[in-house]
Parts: sequence; structure tokens; C-alpha cells
Amino acid sequence: MSLPGEPSLTRRPIIKFSNASFAYNNHFALEKITLNLHEGEFVGVIGPNGSGKTTLLKALLGLIYPNEGSLQIFDCACEALRCRHRARIGYLPQKERTDPNYPITVQEVAMMGRYGAIGLFKRPTRGDREIVLESLDAVNMADKQKKAFGHLSGGEQQRVLIARALSQRPEILLLDEPTTGIDASTQRRLSELICRLHQKYSLTIVFVTHDINMISPIAETLIVLKNRLHAIGRPEEILTKEILSPVYGEEVIVAERDQRPYIIVHDTHNHV
Amino acid sequence: MFEFLSYGFMQRAFLGSTLIALSCSVIGVFAVLRGVTFIGAGTAHAAFAGVAFAFLMGFPPFLMALLFGLSTVWVTSYVQEKGRMKPDVSIGVFYTFTMALAILFIGLMQGYRPEIYGYLFGSILSVTKGDLIIIFGLSLGILGLLALFFKEFHFISFDQEMAEASGIPAKRLSFLLLNLISLSVVIALKAVGAILVFALLVIPAAAAQQWAKNMRSMMIYSAIIGVSSSWSGVLLSYWLDVPSGATIVLIAASIFVLSVLFSGKGKI
Ligand SMILES: Nc1ncnc2c1ncn2[C@@H]1O[C@H](COP(=O)(O)OP(=O)(O)OP(=O)(O)O)[C@@H](O)[C@H]1O
Ligand SMILES: [Mg+2]
Repeated sequence: MSLPGEPSLTRRPIIKFSNASFAYNNHFALEKITLNLHEGEFVGVIGPNGSGKTTLLKALLGLIYPNEGSLQIFDCACEALRCRHRARIGYLPQKERTDPNYPITVQEVAMMGRYGAIGLFKRPTRGDREIVLESLDAVNMADKQKKAFGHLSGGEQQRVLIARALSQRPEILLLDEPTTGIDASTQRRLSELICRLHQKYSLTIVFVTHDINMISPIAETLIVLKNRLHAIGRPEEILTKEILSPVYGEEVIVAERDQRPYIIVHDTHNHV
Repeated sequence: MFEFLSYGFMQRAFLGSTLIALSCSVIGVFAVLRGVTFIGAGTAHAAFAGVAFAFLMGFPPFLMALLFGLSTVWVTSYVQEKGRMKPDVSIGVFYTFTMALAILFIGLMQGYRPEIYGYLFGSILSVTKGDLIIIFGLSLGILGLLALFFKEFHFISFDQEMAEASGIPAKRLSFLLLNLISLSVVIALKAVGAILVFALLVIPAAAAQQWAKNMRSMMIYSAIIGVSSSWSGVLLSYWLDVPSGATIVLIAASIFVLSVLFSGKGKI
């Protein structure tokens, strides 16, 4: 296993999109995507609303299949990926508020991450409970495991949902805007947590976000989507006016802060 | 005062109402949490149309109720998939369509058929031995399948997409769950009546939700509320000679109101 800092060339590609297009009702959300993601790589995905970021994750989860081209995950066509391999991919969905009265505890939510691995007709064992506790511990929520999930704050709920994904013991972790709607300091703690998990478990991470300045220091690779693969590369290659302005508009300013590029997007028309 | 227990019809009423209340109130938990209770209302009216059709053609009423009732799930699932609409719309269309059919079938009948109105308003005291066998078999089947797939149903109710992404056959299980909801409404039809059976699905679960902290406790509370309102409803309807279905529902509804007022959840 290689370290996160190493160039991606030496690592094994585990996700291969080749000329893959994805559509909802004959309307293409993503067209002709060709890219490889490697074992242990930390990938940031950015792009305006409706640019296909969530669609990319859904494709990786096997919730949608390519209409054209192909997608290989773990050297297997995604259409043929077995349940057992699906469990190797953890997912934190883009946030929708859960009903605060939904009767479920933190521990039960985190346990759901094990259900795929446990399989039909079987109950969670002591081993499963230990894994769940470890995952909750990793996100600092172990002391709240008996609490009602609906009564937690937004940031705490996000952490429990990350724990659920970790309970799966995944090799790939997909995160869809995990930091939106969360205050700045919790946001920072959450992204630090994700970096720690990346290193601790050598996780491959695909992190979708609108916050370019948060993701660029922590990601090794950035992907810019605009219903096509607009750009892919190391953050310092991507964060240029030439690459960003076709997507975010001419008003994009690439400034510098602490010797790193700092992006200011003055967009009024890109966000729906 | 308790001589009623020696009557065969009372024994059947108790056993039947217990089984019906159990299956409806337990599966009602999933219906309420998934927000698909409307499938129960749709089923009840479609099943009533089935009964009317059976009386018109001389077919066995239960079989037709089953066929029409479950077709609510099949048709609306299909339409939803094809037409990409929200479930309440497709069920709403089907619901009124089957009600129109029921009225048509009744209009086509020769003479007055009072039995039909039994299915509309329900009469637990008229449950026959044959009805009881059907109720017993099917409610056991429903509860058995619920126990078998409890963890998967729990997962898809909480987060269907995530369940699917974890490799659980979420779409198929979700379809199974809808069929079980529909089935429990059909078996309760004769006893509680097409108009009120929806209440048995929704009220105990909704009252239980006011108290429950997790799925298991919600199911237990819902079952207790459902069964105890059925028992008291049967007793009251016998003692006071009032309609059983209505009595059951009124008791359950009172428990619901008390739960909303006193569970403390409203304060959060
Ligand atoms: N379930 C769906 N049915 C139909 N069209 C969809 C569906 N989901 C997404 N789309 C369309 O696909 C395109 C890409 O959507 P996607 O959700 O991937 O965008 P996104 O980049 O995640 O946006 P956001 O930043 O708002 O989350 C959009 O045009 C959207 O309207
Ligand atoms: Mg999205």
C-alpha cells in the first residue's frame, strides 16, 4: 500500500471511467467521462449546481449505469458488481434533513452500514457491534450512541452518517457535500476528520464540495465537472483562471493566501 | 358479564381482531415511517370494488378483494416507474377509479344486497370460521416475513437509496413491503370495513411514534395500542350494541390524541 503523498502513477487504478455517459430520462447529466481513480487517492470533485457531481457518485454506487461507454470498479464492469463488492464502497449522501421524529438511535444508524455485509436473514453479531462502536469512536460520537438520531444537530448527524459509512469497512469513501450547512469550526473539524480517516485506513476518498478553498489543500487530485470532465489534475494545476473561468464565469479571481492559490467566485448566474 | 367468551362468535371476534390488529399495527409502523400510508387507503377502496365485483359475478369475495386490493400496489408501482410521478398522485387516481368501479358494480346488481354494506362498515362479530382460517394464515405470513426482513425493511424505510447502494435488494424488498401493507388491509376488510380499515394501519403506529425511541419500541407500542383498542372495541360493541369497527377506531383515535398531548415530543 502506498502512502497518500506519493504520485498516483505508482498506484493501482481501482475506478476506470472510459467514455462513460449517464442520463436521466434521456437527458445527459454526464457525458463522455474518461478518468481513472487510484487506490488510496484523495480526490476532490467541484463544479456548479447541476454539473453532475452527485451523478458521478451515484454511478460509483451502482445506482445508475452508463448509457454509453463503461465504468469499471475493482476491475469489474459496474453492472456486474456483486453485493459483496458494493459493501466496499461507503457513501455519505448529500444532506436532506431526516424527520426529527424518526425513531432511531445513533447506534442503529451506524449499524445500518453493516447490513450489506451481514446479509439477508442474519442478525448483527458482537463483532458487528464492535466495528460500529469503533466507527462511532472515530467520529467522536461513541458517547452519544443511545441518543435519538433525529435530535442531533446537523453536524453531529453528518458525523454519525460518516460512522455508518465507516462501519461498512469500505475501501472507497464517497462524500457528497458533507460540510454544507455546518458552521465553520465544525466544518474544519469534519474535513480534518476525513483527512485522518484517509490516512488511518488508506481510504480512497471522493469528496464532492462547493468549497474550493477547503478542498484544495487536502485533495491530491481535483476534478472539475460541467456535465463533462472539464479538468482533472493536482490542485495547483487546476486552480488557474484559464481552467476555472469557463465553469464559474469571468469573475473568478485567483488570489494567493499563505502561499496557496485562493479562489474567489463572484457568481450570481451559475448558482441556481 | 363474561359469559360472552363462551359464544363461538365472540371467540372468533377476539381471535380475529387480535390477529388483524397485530398485523395492521405492526406493518403500519413501516407504512407511517415510509410515508406510504396512502397505499392502505387505496387498497381498502380497491378491495371493496373487488367485493362488489364478486357479488355481481358470483365469485368468492375474499379472492376478489385480494386481487383488486393488491393490484393497487402493482398498478401504482408500475405507473410510478413509467410515469415518474409521486405515489400519492398515482394512488389517488387508482383510488377514485376503483371507487367508481365499485359504485358501477353495485348499480349493476339486481336488487338490494345488504352483505356488501357489511364490507363497507365492517362487522367483527360476523367473522366466520372460514374467515378466521384465512386471517390466521395470512397474518402469520405477514408477521413472519416482517420478522425475516426486519433489518432490511428498517434500512429501506430510513434511507432507501443508501440501502440500495449497500447491495441490499432494496427495490424488490420495498415492493414486497408495499404488498404486505396492502395484504394486511385486505384481511382486515371484512372485520373493520373499507372505510375504517385505513385507521387501523395508521393510528396505532402514529400514536406509538409519539413515544418510541427506536423501531423496535415503536412496533411494540403500536401492537399494544392496536390490540388493546380492538379488544375494548369488540367488548364495547357487544355490551352497548354499537358498531365494532367504529368503536375500535374511536378508541385508537383517543389513544392517539392522548399520546400527542402527553408524550412530550411536541415540546421538542
Ligand atoms: N433523479 C433525477 N432525475 C432527473 N434528472 C436528474 C436527477 N438527478 C439529477 N438530475 C439532473 O442531472 C443533472 C446533474 O445533477 P447532479 O445532481 O449530479 O448535480 P450536482 O453537481 O450534484 O449539483 P448540486 O451542486 O446541486 O448538488 C442536473 O441537470 C439534474 O437536473
Ligand atoms: Mg449534488
